Amino acid sequence: MSGNGDVVLIKDGKRLDGRDFDELRDIKMEVSVLERAAGSAYVEWGKNKVMVGVYGPRELHPKFLQDPTKAMLRCVYNLAPFSVDDRKKPGPDRRSVEISKVTSEALSSVVMLERFPNTVVDVFIEILQADAGTRCAGLTAASLALADAGIPMKDLIASCSAGKIQGQVVVDLMKEEDNFGECDLPMAIIPKKGEVVLLQMDGKLSRDEFKDAYKLAYDGCMKIYDLQRKTLMDSMKKFVGEGGIENGD
Amino acid sequence: MLNVKDRDLIVPGDLLGSDILPDMNCYMEGGNVYSAVEGLVRVDGRKIKVVPSSGGYIPKRDDVVIGVIMDVLTGKWLVDINSPYICAMSGEEVSRDAAKTDLSRYYKVGDILTAKIGSVNEVYSCQLMKPWKIENGLIIDVNPKRVPRVVGKQKSMLNMIREKTGARIIVGQNGKIWIKDGNVDLAVKTIKKIEKYAQTQGLTDQIAEFLDKESRGNPIKPSYHINESED
Repeated sequence: MSGNGDVVLIKDGKRLDGRDFDELRDIKMEVSVLERAAGSAYVEWGKNKVMVGVYGPRELHPKFLQDPTKAMLRCVYNLAPFSVDDRKKPGPDRRSVEISKVTSEALSSVVMLERFPNTVVDVFIEILQADAGTRCAGLTAASLALADAGIPMKDLIASCSAGKIQGQVVVDLMKEEDNFGECDLPMAIIPKKGEVVLLQMDGKLSRDEFKDAYKLAYDGCMKIYDLQRKTLMDSMKKFVGEGGIENGD
Repeated sequence: MLNVKDRDLIVPGDLLGSDILPDMNCYMEGGNVYSAVEGLVRVDGRKIKVVPSSGGYIPKRDDVVIGVIMDVLTGKWLVDINSPYICAMSGEEVSRDAAKTDLSRYYKVGDILTAKIGSVNEVYSCQLMKPWKIENGLIIDVNPKRVPRVVGKQKSMLNMIREKTGARIIVGQNGKIWIKDGNVDLAVKTIKKIEKYAQTQGLTDQIAEFLDKESRGNPIKPSYHINESED
C-alpha cells in the first residue's frame, strides 16, 4: 500500500487487465478434487490457484483439547514457496498464522460444530499460485470443501475484496493494484443473512469511500455465492443420476 | 409453506419452507426451515428432510458395523469403526472371566470383526456387542451416507446383489462392506455403481439390468476365493 503515484493502474476508464471497476476476475471452481480427503475444492480466481482439503470430523489429539460440547475447527493457510515471484520461505509465518486464524473464525460461525463433540475438523488451504486476494479465494474454497465433505453448516461463506487504486474504488484487486494501490478491503459474508464474518482493511479509506468499497465487495460476494451454488449443484448431478447411468465404468 | 419440491437438489443454507417439521439435516431459525447440508430434498407430508450426498459415520444404536481392533486392554478392546468416535468392546462378549483371560487369544490388534452397536451416549462413546470375526474375503469402502442405498428398502438391493453374484456380503453401516465367494468382481463393481449414482430414481431396476447384462456368458463361480494375505 505504498500509494505509488508513478504506476498507472487505470487507463481510459479501464483497469490494467481491461476490467471495469465493478468487474471480478475470471473464476473457476471445482469440488471433490482430492481422493483421500473427506471434502475438497479447487478454485482458480484470476491468477490465484487455491486447493483446499477438509479432513474429519476426526479424533482430536492431544486429548485435553477435546471439548465435549462441540468440535474444534482448525485451519491451516499455507502459501507454497513457488506461489509468488520471489521464493517464499516455507513454513508458517506471521501473515499465514493470522490468515489461518481469521479463516477458522469465519468458518466457525457457520459450521454446526456442536453436532460432533470431542472431535476436530481440519481445513488445509494451500495457495499454489498467489496474485492478491488469496485469503478470499481460500475462504471461498474452504467453504465449498466443507459442503463437499457433508459437514452440516448453516450457510456457505462467500468472500471477495474491494479496494482503492488511484483514488478510484474498485472490486477484486489483482497483484499490481494491491501493490501500488491505496487500500485493500477483504470481506466475507454469510449470503443468506448478509452478515459479515470477515472484514480487514489494509490502507486508508474515507468514510464515503469505505461505504462504496463495502457495497462493491458485498456485491462481489453475492456473485461468488452464485458460482459456489452452481458448482455444488453440478457436483451432485451424478448423485441423482442426471443424464443416466453410464455402463462403461 | 414449502419453498422446494420433492427431489430438488439443495446446498447448505437453502430455505426449505416455513410451518413444516424439520427432520434429518435441517435446522430451524425464526420459524423457517433451512438445509444444513448439500443433498436431495425429500418431502413426506409435513415433514421435510435432506438426504446428504456425503459425510462421515456417526455411531447409532443397533447398527451393524465392520471394525478393526486398535488396542487390547484388560477386560476390553478398542475398535476403530471408521468414525471420529472409537468403540469399546467388553471382554465379556467372548469370555465369562474376561478380566483374567488374555483377550488377544480372541482378537489381536489388527483383527477385523463385525459387530452390533449396543449403546451410544450423548458424546458418542459406544459399546459393541456380538462380535463375529472376519478372517478372509474382501472389504471395500463406500461413503457411509450412501450405504442405505446399497441395502435398499427391506434389503431389496442387497438381496438382489447376493442372488445375482452368488457372493456373501455383510454391509457395515459405517461404510465398510465385506464380500466373499461368488462373483466378487461383479459385486464390487455393482456396489461402486450404486454408490456413485446413489439417489437415481428406479435405481434397483437399472442395477438389475446391469447385473443381468454383466453376468451373461460369465456364470457365477461359487468357488471364487481370496486369500487372507491378498487383502
